[in-house]
Amino acid sequence: MAFQHFFGPMFLGTEIVFTVAAVVFCFLIYFKTKESYELTKYEGIRYFRDAFLFFGLSYAIRFFFSLVLLSIIAFDFIVPRIMFIPLFILPLGYFSTIGIFYLIFSSVWKSFKSRSLLVLGHSAAILLSIISFITRSHMILLYFQSALLVLAMIFSSTMHKSEKRVSHAKVLYFLVALLWLINLWVIDRRRPFSAEIEIFFELVSLAVFIAIYYKVSKWVK
Amino acid sequence: MNSKKRDRLEVIFDILKIIMDRQNSIKPTPLLRYSNLSSSSFAEYYNELLSKGFIKEITDKKGRKYITLTDKGFKYLEKYRLILGFIDEFEL
Repeated sequence: MAFQHFFGPMFLGTEIVFTVAAVVFCFLIYFKTKESYELTKYEGIRYFRDAFLFFGLSYAIRFFFSLVLLSIIAFDFIVPRIMFIPLFILPLGYFSTIGIFYLIFSSVWKSFKSRSLLVLGHSAAILLSIISFITRSHMILLYFQSALLVLAMIFSSTMHKSEKRVSHAKVLYFLVALLWLINLWVIDRRRPFSAEIEIFFELVSLAVFIAIYYKVSKWVK
Repeated sequence: MNSKKRDRLEVIFDILKIIMDRQNSIKPTPLLRYSNLSSSSFAEYYNELLSKGFIKEITDKKGRKYITLTDKGFKYLEKYRLILGFIDEFEL
């Protein structure tokens, strides 16, 4: 069965290394920008750094969630592991949704009232995590967050109609969200991709986090 | 970069720079004049800078009030260009 590769020592090791590296880079971006935010209290910086804090938490929870999800069908234990799914899916749904929202907010906040954005983002994230909790499915997160990403792209392109080319920052934001969705998709019980393809996406994800960290470090000493 | 928030960062930078350029000691009235702000706006920024610890008030023996930069104020001036670069780079 496709899920078996996950429990191979090689792949499990890779998965642990990826999770630790992704979480570390997300937190590095968060802490690196702390002084800039504390000096300026600039809203855009706040959304940007909080987005990476939430993505870091999401990747950490994703790892434990995928362990629980797969161990239910990989091992025949008496322990009712299925009870753990809702425990992980609530924070996974909330942190990842708010992470995507904050990434979007970091570039559109000037056009809206900050309070309205916060209410919208947190309400949607709470609602979605509750729906995932009730349905016990992380796939519902995937569908909603994909729709959110598509809407954000449409919105961004209508807002910046006059701009001839897409900026590097926007490409990186899009990749962070898209790779999160792919990494969320691959933890499905049926494991849609082979181990090699999963590792490929994980490497691309790390490359994006490293690129962002490098760009941040250039400015924030 | 013409957002309201960006303007705020620039205004803060300008006020702090005026203080630094006057040997880190200036009276409130000349500071208001050099900052090119209305009295109400100036009061708003002035109180914000005081409360956030960017500037402090010093009163001399004759009871005259002077404004000086704190370490945090100097740090803001030092980091300002880099922070603007960061904001531009990530379109924040």
